[in-house]
This record gives sequence, structure tokens and C-alpha cells, in this order.
Amino acid sequence: MNGKVHGYGGKMTLWERLYLGEIFRGLGITIRHVIRNLLHTGDMPTVQYPEEHRAYSPRFRGRHRLMKREDGTPRCVACMMCSTACPADCIHIVAEEHPDPAIEKAPASFEIDLLRCVYCGLCEEACPCDAIRMDTGIYDLAADSREKFWVDKEFLLNNTTDGTR
Amino acid sequence: MVKVTIDGTELEFAAGTSLFDACRTARGEALPHFCYHPDLSVAGVCRLCQVEVEGMPKLTIACNTTVREGMVVHTRSEKVRRAAQQILEMHLINHPVDCPICDQAGECGLQDQYMTYGLYESEVGKSDKVHKAKVQVIGPRVVLDKERCVLCSRCVRFCDEVTRTGELGIFNRGDRAEIGVAPGRQLDNAYSLNTVDICPVGALTSLDFRFKKRVWLLRSTPSLCHGCATGCSVRVDHEAGTVYRLKPRRNPAVNGAWMCDEGRDTYRELHADTRLREPLLRRDGALRPATWPEAWATLAAAAGPAAPLGFAVVSPRQSLEEIALFAHLAAVLGAPAAGVSGGAREADRGEGDDLLRSADRAPNRAALAWLGLDEPAGADLAARVRAARGAVLVYGADPAADAPGWREAVAGRTVIHLGTHRNATAESADIVIPLGAWAEKDGLLVNRQGRVQASRRAIARPGLAQEDWRFLADWLAAAGATEFPASLPDLRRWVAGRVPALAGVDLNALPPEGLVPGAVAAGAGGER
Repeated sequence: MNGKVHGYGGKMTLWERLYLGEIFRGLGITIRHVIRNLLHTGDMPTVQYPEEHRAYSPRFRGRHRLMKREDGTPRCVACMMCSTACPADCIHIVAEEHPDPAIEKAPASFEIDLLRCVYCGLCEEACPCDAIRMDTGIYDLAADSREKFWVDKEFLLNNTTDGTR
Repeated sequence: MVKVTIDGTELEFAAGTSLFDACRTARGEALPHFCYHPDLSVAGVCRLCQVEVEGMPKLTIACNTTVREGMVVHTRSEKVRRAAQQILEMHLINHPVDCPICDQAGECGLQDQYMTYGLYESEVGKSDKVHKAKVQVIGPRVVLDKERCVLCSRCVRFCDEVTRTGELGIFNRGDRAEIGVAPGRQLDNAYSLNTVDICPVGALTSLDFRFKKRVWLLRSTPSLCHGCATGCSVRVDHEAGTVYRLKPRRNPAVNGAWMCDEGRDTYRELHADTRLREPLLRRDGALRPATWPEAWATLAAAAGPAAPLGFAVVSPRQSLEEIALFAHLAAVLGAPAAGVSGGAREADRGEGDDLLRSADRAPNRAALAWLGLDEPAGADLAARVRAARGAVLVYGADPAADAPGWREAVAGRTVIHLGTHRNATAESADIVIPLGAWAEKDGLLVNRQGRVQASRRAIARPGLAQEDWRFLADWLAAAGATEFPASLPDLRRWVAGRVPALAGVDLNALPPEGLVPGAVAAGAGGER
């Protein structure tokens, strides 16, 4: 910061009270930045969101995803560990019988209320099957109704890690 | 009496007491165990309850040892602890450790005892385990997982000793030994789900409860089974207003540790589609939902000082307090005293046996006799209703379905139904009042032994349904009665004063196993 900083109610000099001079000085600063940004676009601090995303740590907890077995069915066995651990009570699972007795139990429905979720990660920590992960990196949630934040099993199974859906 | 020193404390026990029970008394908690069960014979197969007895060369199992004068026992020594740990490790050698998908997780003996005594790293790899059949439906209500079994033989002993049906057995030897049903048979006796209760691991699980709820989410309320006149002590397991299962509560004076499969199904009616949620009034020929003020206005016009009640019927499914208060209300409203009846005698009949199930499916019929209410046969009931004039009030009973000639007898008259479900009587009534179902209220039941037991409220009433005694008391007040209860304890004191058999009994402080009024002075517990 250079130059004098006037507090509100401070006395302005004659030059300042002439008004136009200060206006052109301010415009000069803006134009200087525009030209510098045009010449050195790589140094610009602005992120071109949503085309461009800021890089986050791989440990960042984004929107959840459900892992699949090799045959494409969910890895989840509906043990309810995640919903038990969840401090926001946002995971709702209904279990059903799996046709394969070696698997035995599977989720009939697996729903998360993303608006209730506090992104604490206790669900993925509690999961004994590594079936739920929060490694998608997706943090930009937008929808035009609350219902759309209530996501189901299909939605969670199709979440990917590359930030696209 | 013999003197025994357990963990340094000298205690006296009756001769013949098992060392297991003596240790439970001395320690305040049971020794680790799978196969011991107080209501079954001693098998001594799980080897977990080993204790150190001075003078004996090796550890001995407490369940199969009786106390002896001068015995010095150690249950918390390092040697005992190591033995329990090693035995537990042996039990877990071939256990699949599939707790995430096992319904027993949360109430499992293996889990609990591993947390107390185990805590070791397993030396057996998952691929080295002997695998056995999983998800075997061995009867209409029970699922068997042979891998999870620890071969404690409790279920086999139950079928041999309690039901005497002998469906189950242990087959093969060594690490291939497994529980199974005899070829060509099914585990389909009337008490089969008790094997699930006593299974200390997840080998036997209930088909009905399967995957419905994780047990650690459930809350338990001590209650009574309302399925028949035996009145077994049960535990209602519920979460967020929904009942998921009934489990027996040990009561040696009534049901031991058991209850029948049919009784376990009685929770389903609580959440049936026919459950009444709001008052219904007949308008233009059909029953339509109404508000409470509308219902009260219609009730006052139908039965009260201006229009005396003609006849009142109460079901022996209602509690002692409710029946007493209802009979009082009927008298105030003008029904002749003889007009209060316990419903059709034939209703509520089922299959009985000499173990627990009573052929009388009404849980509180003894209370009718205590309160001096009779139970005419169905045809007689209809005839008596026909002889009386005025509105007919039905509480809990379903005479339209049970009593022949009922529909003709009430034709053209106002029928008021106080109940919980849309049964045949409700469908044909003019005023339907929704009250509490059995798990939604506190109440006392008198079982076939004459034992008064308390049933406790587990869940909330649905919709606009009201608490029974409060509704009856409100109606008494509205009808101008001078005597009506202000609270449930108040009502119980009033009931005890009206029933000669209950003289001197405090109904607000019943022991957990209930009480047979005549036997209080004699000190007897009543027959089983």
C-alpha cells in the first residue's frame, strides 16, 4: 500500500476535492492491471470457475461415491456401520437378501441427504468393505430443489473420481 | 449351606448350587460362557467358564461343578484369563468373522467375550478356515449359518428338553462337526424362535427379523405378551416409533426364558394398515374422518344424561384399569350393570399346549371375573343387546365378527366403537374412537394364574389416537360423574379399592415377575 489513506470524515486536499484527477488516477490503476493480466495470463490469480477448478489435496473429502465389485454391483453389504457412525444422520440404507450366499446381504436402497451431510468422513472410516469413499473431489453442489440433494444408490455408484459426473 | 471362598470373599450357598451360579453371585456378573443356560441341562462343551479351584490339579468348568464346603475358587487369576482367551481363540478358528452382515452383531457372545477376554491377533488365515453351508432356511422362521456356530448345543438341548421335538442335532466330528436338522425334517415347532434367542452367536437367526434393523439401534421396553392368557414377560424392541421384534424376558414364575412363535408375531398388528388414526363419524352412510371436538359433540348426543346408554361390551384384551374404568363409565352413562359384558365367550380361542400357549387368546380374561363382569355366549350376547334400549358401546371387542346375531340386534341403533383397528364392528359403527394399542400404553394384565403383571408403553400412539384411561376419564367428567381418576397411579389405587382380591396390594409397585394377590400372604410364587 502506498499513498495516504484517509479515514472517513478526514479532511480532503484541494486536489482530491477537484474529483476528476482522482478518478483518472483510479482508472489508471485498473487499466494497468488489465494490461498486465493480458500480457501475463498465467500469473492471473483469478480461477476461471466453473471451467477451471482449483487443485485440491487428494485427501479432500468431496461428494461420496459407492464402490463397485468387478461385476458392477455395489460392494456395500448394508452393514449400517456408516449410518451408525454418521453424526448428521444423513445415510439411509435398506438391506435385502443377496442371491449369492457368500455375499448374503446387499443394499436395496442407499440414500444420502447431501444437505445434511457434514463431510466429516466418518462413514468411509467406519466402512469394513471400503464400499463408500469421499474421494471424488466434487464439492460444487447445485440444484433447484431440496429433493435433488437426496441422492440414491445409482447416483452414488456412478460418481467418478475425475471430477465429472 | 456350604461356605465357599470366591476371589477372596467367603460366601454361603445352599448345597447343590452350581459353581457357575455361585460365581455369578460373587462376581456380580457371569463367567464367560456359551453353553450354560439356567433353563437347560448342563452340557459343559464350550469350556469357557473354567475357574481355578485350590486342590484341583487342573482348571475346572464351573457350570458342571457343584459347590463344596471349604472350596477356594479363583475366577480372575491370570491362569483363568489365559484359559478363556485360548478357548475363545479355538472357537474362532473356523468362524467366518462376517459380523458386518450378521444379524447377531451387537448382541453376540463371541463379540462381547472377545472384547473382554480375547483381543489377540488371529493366527488362522481366512483361506485356512473350514467353510460350511451358509443361509440355510431350516424352518419357517429360522435361518442357519453353520460357519458361525460354536457348537454349544443350546438349540439342540432346547429341542430335546423343552419342546421335546428333537429336530436339531450335531452331525460329523472334529472341525467338520455342524448343527443340522435331521434328514427330511424342519425346525417347525411352535417355539422354534427360542433357539435364535439362546444361540450365543449368529448361527441361528430369525427369518422375520432378518436384515430389518441392526440391534444396537433398538431400544427395549419391558412389557407383556398380549397374545394369550399366559402373559409371558417380554421385551419390546423398537426404534423411532416402530416395533421390530418381541423377545422373551426371563420370568421363572411364568414363562422361564421362553415365549411362543405366535406371540412374537403379535407386534405386527401395531403397524397394520387398518390401525385407527383419527375419530370416524358416519355421515351420509360412510365413515368419515372427524376432529375430536366433533367426535365429543356426537358422543354427548349419542350417550349421556339425555340419551341413556343401552348396552356396553368390553374385551378381555383391555387392561385391568381400563375394564374397571369402562364398567364405571357404562354405569354412569346409564347402561344396566348387567349390561356390561366381556364380549362373546367363543371369541379369542386358539390352539393351546401344556408348555406356554393357552387356548384362551385373551390376555386379561381373569380381570373380568375380578370385576364381576360376565361373558355370555355369542348368541346370548346378541339377545341381551336386543333386549336393551339405547346406544351400544363396544370397547376393544369385535362382536360383529364373533357374536352370531349381533348385526341384527344393533340394526338401526347407534353403535359406538372404542378401539385400535378397523375391524368388522368398527366398519358397521356410527362413531369410531381411536385409542391406544397394547404397546402404546401402560396397563396391568391378570394372567391365567391370577398373576397381575405390568405392561409398559414402548411407542407413541399414531395420529390423533388418545390414551385409553384419559379418554374414559374425560368422558366420565363430561357425563357429570363426581368420581374419576386424575392420573394412572390414581386410577390403579381406585381399582385396587374396588376389587376384593386386590386388598392391600399396591398396583403401582408390582415386582418385575408380577404378583398373585392371594399368594402374597402365603409367600408362594404361584404355579408355573
